[in-house]
Amino acid sequence: MKSEKDIFEKIGKASYGVPEGYFNDLKSRLEAIPQEKSVLNGPWARIRPYLAMAACFVALLVAGNSVLRHTVSTNPAEQVQSEATYADIISLTHPEVFINEFEYANEDVTTEEDIINYLIESGVEMEYLAYSGGNQKY
Amino acid sequence: MTDKEIIELYKSGQKDRAFKEIVDSYSERLYWHVRRFLCSHEDTDDLLQEIFLKIWTALPSFRGESQLFTWLYRIATNEALNFLNKQKVRSALQFESLSSKLEEKIDEDPWFNGDVMQRMLMKAIQRLPEKQRLVFVMRWFEELPYEEISEILGTSIGALKASYHFATEKLKSFLEKNSELF
Repeated sequence: MKSEKDIFEKIGKASYGVPEGYFNDLKSRLEAIPQEKSVLNGPWARIRPYLAMAACFVALLVAGNSVLRHTVSTNPAEQVQSEATYADIISLTHPEVFINEFEYANEDVTTEEDIINYLIESGVEMEYLAYSGGNQKY
Repeated sequence: MTDKEIIELYKSGQKDRAFKEIVDSYSERLYWHVRRFLCSHEDTDDLLQEIFLKIWTALPSFRGESQLFTWLYRIATNEALNFLNKQKVRSALQFESLSSKLEEKIDEDPWFNGDVMQRMLMKAIQRLPEKQRLVFVMRWFEELPYEEISEILGTSIGALKASYHFATEKLKSFLEKNSELF
């Protein structure tokens, strides 16, 4: 009866090759590990993560600032231009919003004449209108 | 230099020199140990750097409770197994098995100098369960005594012998099915 040992001994152990000079090169690379590690564990190694975070924060600030500079103008002419542009965007169903942005912003929208016209249209008697005199201030 | 002398050298403060002695004594042995599990020269080369980096980092914590040799082999074996587990996950994502991936590597390995039967044996070994594969490789290829394998793997000698027996049975069965020699 064949023993397991015979079968495997008959097959034999597989052999592998390696590139020429591989093990000498390997030893050189491995022996460099302590020097590489000592550089990584130097004084800069501890503060490096904090420096990286600070650098990211500064980069974000600079990037954000440059984006804002390009989108928000301090030139008066350009500001008016941008407001006019917004005026086109604002819906015409909100005339008060539109008007208030410009030269009528500080004026009373409803005039006395507007009030009288409104009263006439709503059917108020002329006598009441006369009583009001039209000189009343509202 | 013996293991004891290397440890004494390290304890005396000559750490770089002690590490150099470890590299001289063990780099080639650990290379072959890892190579038989990874089935690839390039993967073994990469992993060996990681292993020796781990050894350098862990040397301060080596207390001498085990032999230096078994301690080094334990690190190398664990790293090889971790590597293979990662390969297993990658293979699963590609709907492949790890063993078929390793068999491909054996077929494509330009540095494999074995014959057809030896190639078949290597492929069969990749199909074994992890423990049986470990025991078989260390016992058959590296001819390590059970006492040292027990220290490396943290398994009893009785369990190792059982694993080795089951491994040889499976391999014999596989070879018989796939070979005209039997």
